[in-house]
Amino acid sequence: MGETREALRTRAVAKRYGPVVALRSVDLSVRPGEIHALLGANGAGKSTLVKILTGVLAPDSGEIEVGGRPVAFRSPADARRHGVTPVFQDPALLPDLTVAENLRLTGTGAADVLERLREMDLTPPDFRTPAGELPLPLLRMLDLARALAHRPALLVLDEITAALPSDYAERVFAVMRRTREAGGSVLFITHRLLEVQEVCDRATVLRDGRDVDTHVVAEGGEDRIVAAMLGDKAVGAVPAAGSTAARPTGEKLLEVTDLGDGGRLKDVSFALHAGEVLGVVALEGQGQDELFELLAGDRRAASGEVAVRGRRLAGRHPREAVRHGVALVPSDRQEALLPMRSVRENLALPLSGRRWGPIRLNEERRKVGAVIERLEIDTRAQDEVRRLSGGNQQKVAIGRWLVGGFDVLLCFDLTRGIDVGTKHQIYALLRSIAEDGRGVLMFTSELREVPMVCDRALVMYGGRVAGELPAAEADEGMLLNAAHGLTRAEEVG
Amino acid sequence: MQATTMAATGSMARRQAWTGATLLAFLLLVAVKAQSGGFDSFEIQTMVTSTLALGYLTLAQGVIVIGGGIDLSVGAQMVLFNCLSARLMEGRSFGTCLLIAAGATLAGALLGALTGLVIARSGVPDIIVTLATGFVWSGLALFVLPTPGGGTALEFQTLVLGSGTEFWPPLVGLAVPGLIIWYVLRRTSAGLGIYALGSDRQAAFLAGVPALRAQVTAYAIGGLLCALGGLAATAFTGGGDPRATAGMTATLTSVAAVVLGGIALTGGVGGLLGPVVAVWSLYLIPAIMLARGVDPAYGEAVKGVVIVLVVLIGGLLRRNGRKT
Amino acid sequence: MTAVRARDWPKVDRSLLVLVGVLAALVLANGVIDQGFLSAAQLRNTLLVTVPLALIAGGQTLCMLTGGIDLSVAMTATAAAYVTGVRAADGTALAILEGLAVGLVIGLVNGVAIAVFRVNALIMTLGMSAILTGLLTVGSQTFLKGATRMPEFVRELGGGTIVGPIPWNLLVWLLLGGLLIFGLRRTGLGRLIYAIGGNRRAARLAGVRVASVEVAVYVACALLAAVAGILIGGRGGSVDLQLAGSYLLPSVAAAVIGGTSILGGSGGYTGTILGALILSVLDTMLNVLNVDEAVKQVLYGTIVLVLAWVYIRTSRARTGDR
Repeated sequence: MGETREALRTRAVAKRYGPVVALRSVDLSVRPGEIHALLGANGAGKSTLVKILTGVLAPDSGEIEVGGRPVAFRSPADARRHGVTPVFQDPALLPDLTVAENLRLTGTGAADVLERLREMDLTPPDFRTPAGELPLPLLRMLDLARALAHRPALLVLDEITAALPSDYAERVFAVMRRTREAGGSVLFITHRLLEVQEVCDRATVLRDGRDVDTHVVAEGGEDRIVAAMLGDKAVGAVPAAGSTAARPTGEKLLEVTDLGDGGRLKDVSFALHAGEVLGVVALEGQGQDELFELLAGDRRAASGEVAVRGRRLAGRHPREAVRHGVALVPSDRQEALLPMRSVRENLALPLSGRRWGPIRLNEERRKVGAVIERLEIDTRAQDEVRRLSGGNQQKVAIGRWLVGGFDVLLCFDLTRGIDVGTKHQIYALLRSIAEDGRGVLMFTSELREVPMVCDRALVMYGGRVAGELPAAEADEGMLLNAAHGLTRAEEVG
Repeated sequence: MQATTMAATGSMARRQAWTGATLLAFLLLVAVKAQSGGFDSFEIQTMVTSTLALGYLTLAQGVIVIGGGIDLSVGAQMVLFNCLSARLMEGRSFGTCLLIAAGATLAGALLGALTGLVIARSGVPDIIVTLATGFVWSGLALFVLPTPGGGTALEFQTLVLGSGTEFWPPLVGLAVPGLIIWYVLRRTSAGLGIYALGSDRQAAFLAGVPALRAQVTAYAIGGLLCALGGLAATAFTGGGDPRATAGMTATLTSVAAVVLGGIALTGGVGGLLGPVVAVWSLYLIPAIMLARGVDPAYGEAVKGVVIVLVVLIGGLLRRNGRKT
Repeated sequence: MTAVRARDWPKVDRSLLVLVGVLAALVLANGVIDQGFLSAAQLRNTLLVTVPLALIAGGQTLCMLTGGIDLSVAMTATAAAYVTGVRAADGTALAILEGLAVGLVIGLVNGVAIAVFRVNALIMTLGMSAILTGLLTVGSQTFLKGATRMPEFVRELGGGTIVGPIPWNLLVWLLLGGLLIFGLRRTGLGRLIYAIGGNRRAARLAGVRVASVEVAVYVACALLAAVAGILIGGRGGSVDLQLAGSYLLPSVAAAVIGGTSILGGSGGYTGTILGALILSVLDTMLNVLNVDEAVKQVLYGTIVLVLAWVYIRTSRARTGDR
């Protein structure tokens, strides 16, 4: 290993955002002429690592070598000059500029890009078209062609296939193989394990900000990857509640009938009962975002209806949902918190929204104090919520509704990127909410949460509820496979 | 993701439609003006010369807003260069006046670059920085020329404004810098960087646009145009006027014209033709009212209503466009 | 886990202490330069010009806290004062009410356009300013024709003295300023103003009617400007169309110096008061020194910029951001 000069090598790269640790220590090596997969669950640190490798972010500590020489990228342009060229998840072409202008912006030869597009068997668009007018898949391919035109030593592809139809994905694989034959390297980030089997030579798995396994794909197989992604963390603290809970017997709190948004979401029906935690499991972009937005009253439904305790919601404004007792905790804490305000103001927001007049200080102090105590929120940095750790921020986002009161709590991927201890506190909290006779609807991308917290689980696929099963029967590995679109998605249903 | 792309697509088509609508509105105003008070070459000359300084300021504001910023000091910069040039040019020969004009233009670009640098480096919002520098520039103007006065060479006035009912010189004087800047903006990577910066700071960064340089360039171009505005004011009035109110009014009009002309205040979108046409349209409204026997003092109010309504309707159209 | 109690009041902001220091230094410098500055008459004069600025800047602070801005405050103040002056014959109380009604209408129009129709605040208030200028210019010759002589009561309120250095208008300001501070800190509406400025989307998802809050803010801002305009008119005795024009930029500057972010969500009225005091003491000092208007403006601009810069530096250092 020592003799060959790695195309890319990192040693103990670490990064934290304020109190939140994104990367603890990552050692990664990509050899010349290799397609290397970078894998990991949500919040494992993949995107942070990619940003560091491409000059978007600077690491707090650790070393990066490209072609055997230590580097410290100052910007994406700098990384590109060193031969590391990324294609990001979001199209990097500016929609207001034409294709030709976009290429001029990065100093890319138009002829070169045309050539690459032809190599990929694509009909090049008119370069005088504004980039924003081109179809999305073609934009991604243009992005790729532009990256290739810079003749990178290391091509970094960040979930490029996520939004591509399969014939385009095949072309991307062909490009990757050609790059390998020409002696170049590819770092390939994906959620789809099938693709790893198909094109990658080696794979590195990240978990909780560390590299936990690097192996040759042909020798490992998907079981090894899945095992590495899950880890062997003890699942203590919360009893497998779902297994003990009986089928829901409480009254129907929330009833959804044939709900659709006129777009991705189609004819969704289900009911949430008092005393129940109902899980929602889905791949990315199967309509779960739309479902939660509709339920929270953030958008109006195109068809179907939502009823809370038998009363129909019109979906005009989130206020209506809140008044009927339906509260949303979004996954992105940026959508929930007032970053510059205190813990107290954040927790008391629903109270303030209800009454414009003088604040009832005693009532507020009592309610807020009780919630801080119940959730064990760390109040050392209470003057500005943005200075709290990710876990504490999430507790504030949930705690707000304990202060404000609710019947149905909508939790969207609540535990993404927070530490294990806090996760377990949150699980316990959700269970106790259900035991109070209220209901929780939670979408989670972390599948082992389903048997741990939920009573039942819905699987969404293509904007519909594809199936429903008792959480106790929802085997984690099976759900993971389904969520990665490998196989057996139908069996789940 | 799909939705964003589609919104962007719509916005592009809408922007072109917007420029078309601006042109159409202008032509309509011209027709009304022609009917109610005539619109001969003298009228055109009056229109172009009396809005020349404002036209430069609007171009300046346009470039800066496209780059994602705003400059509330363009009027003050104009006043400063008006006073500076009027004082220096008084009693000088034509040749000296031209040299002074060249020097002033260069100085304008430097002032603008300095403003851009301060905004980028300090982290103080652009509105605040330019509000403060506005005070500084109008103070300097008073320092240079404490009371209205100064002068310039007659040939310089003729060069800028034309003679008799000639309207080509001022039109060319506005179009040439406008076209050069348009070329720089759309054809060079430095100029495209300005669009990119205003369009999406993050994406521009990922594409490798040097943000600092793009921002400083935008403000430098703005400063240069403001200096041209000051010189135009000197030529138009034959002297300098240090009073700050004229500058403030001009600043506000430049912002309004930029928005009416189809440049999004959020940056990254729009051209330079629309804003100039918008300036002329705003000039025509009170002129028509006067010709029609309406108290021209209402002109201000009507201008205000037009600005608000156009922006409101534009906003509603955009919202509906997003829904469908 | 020790104290799990949430504090009732936030800690005193260190940046505010810097402002107090700057103000104290300016007052001292003024006292040294001009022996008369600390006399009752001079202090009275300083307060007399500070109060209207502090009121207008208070409204500006509200708008900025929500992430907006109101560039029509100066014309709103002028219009309110003008109407009060012209309508003096209707009786003092009615004249004042009519002036305030002007403010109310302007605020409502601004607020609805900005909050409901989502017109950019800068453009809307700019347009409003132009509309008011036009209407007043015409009105002064037609439907608002007549002498603008402020009622006696208003003149006493705007320029009279209670005792020693205390002018009557300070009383008005104590009342409204106290209301503002209390309103921002201890009412639901105040919390919501910070909430929508800090994170509009989060506020919406928490069930806040963002548009209503915004309308309330622009109405409050216009009403404060109207009161300030009437006071300014009272000080001078009569009203012309340039009455409050010079207050526009200082109102923004006072809020900014006082640490209110133009992007919304952080700041407060206490800082704005300090900002207004700093600006008017500075103004007095430059007047006393008999400094050229030119130098005055240059200094004024420079100080606003430097203070804003320093404020951003200190608040960044505090939170550890770069």
